[in-house]
Amino acid sequence: MTAAPASYGVGIGWRPEIAGFVAGLPGLRFVEVVAESVRASGPMPPALADLRARDVTVVPHGVKLSLGGAEPVAADRVAHLAALAALFDAPLVSEHIAFVRAGGVEAGHLLPLPRTREAVDATVANVRRAQDGLPVPIALEPIAAVFDWPDDELDEADFITEILARSDALLLLDIANVYANARNRGGTPEALLDRLPLERVAYAHVAGGAENEGIYHDTHLDPVSPAVLDLVAALSARRRPPALLLERDGAYPAAEVLRAELDAIAAAAGYPAVT
Amino acid sequence: MNGDLASRQAALVAALVSGAPVPSGFDDRLVGVARRALLRKRADDVRRQWPMLAASFGPAWVSTFATWAETRESRGSLRDGWDLARSRAPLAAAAAAELREREALWAYDGASAPRRRGRVSAAVRMWWARR
Repeated sequence: MTAAPASYGVGIGWRPEIAGFVAGLPGLRFVEVVAESVRASGPMPPALADLRARDVTVVPHGVKLSLGGAEPVAADRVAHLAALAALFDAPLVSEHIAFVRAGGVEAGHLLPLPRTREAVDATVANVRRAQDGLPVPIALEPIAAVFDWPDDELDEADFITEILARSDALLLLDIANVYANARNRGGTPEALLDRLPLERVAYAHVAGGAENEGIYHDTHLDPVSPAVLDLVAALSARRRPPALLLERDGAYPAAEVLRAELDAIAAAAGYPAVT
Repeated sequence: MNGDLASRQAALVAALVSGAPVPSGFDDRLVGVARRALLRKRADDVRRQWPMLAASFGPAWVSTFATWAETRESRGSLRDGWDLARSRAPLAAAAAAELREREALWAYDGASAPRRRGRVSAAVRMWWARR
């Protein structure tokens, strides 16, 4: 397994609401699309076709596979992700180390797993099932958790490292999630960076959040904080990811504000501005 | 814990989305924080599908939706908004018009996924809905 072949620099999560803004970024080399929001049959949406024509890489990012669920991953969801990888000629796809449904009930969000051997086994089995149906490598993203399970057997670094090693998957490292978990659990985010297999990082996510009821939430609706940018720099000093991607899912600010965020991420990582 | 990941995940989801008790050992306060964050996210999703319905509640939209939704698992934002709209008659004028147009275009029995009506039927119903 090799990491992404080239340096892509700074990208942004493509969303229909900011398609015009994204199209106007002259140095853009890659975007991510939410897999469940794009049809795999028929032609790709024109805005994404235009990006592909500019040789911008499009990475399908799944949010509903539920790889950490106790039940086997749904074959049709894997097939959809595979079809999108083919449609966009993507070098890889990504999903989360999380579960989103159980017993047929949708949670509506990414939920944390117990950090147990049993959950590692279930997740690895599902990642292997997904890999069997995918034409490209998959990168796995550890999530931000508002709460933890009561019976953890492994700490976060060991839990993530074991899943990646046993499934030979890449790591999608969400720096905002690392920040959120350290802030909510106590501890320093740099300590986690020091223990993760950074050589497996395919790309990194960067996003804003906000505190609510005493807990930091990874909202993707708020500005990227200076503390998260510092952590981007701390990660890049250890081992710079081939690509970093800004996630914004709503409450979109003015174009110049988004451009400034992209520039700040590029500066923190030492990549050229894409704006 | 051995071999019961499936049932434990189901119990946690039930606590988060349909008001079931928080499984033992979890931090009640933090699971409550997550439950309310999920309800805010659902309210935002329904607001996108049903903008007039949400607007008719003004700043009380999120709390109104959350109160209604906290014991109901999501059936998707289209149906959640639909069920809430039908339960809240009489609606404000713009929200009532939004509901009438949806009812004209789609057949929804409240129990299974809405089905798009035939073109002629929809056109006639839409004409009535807009009178």
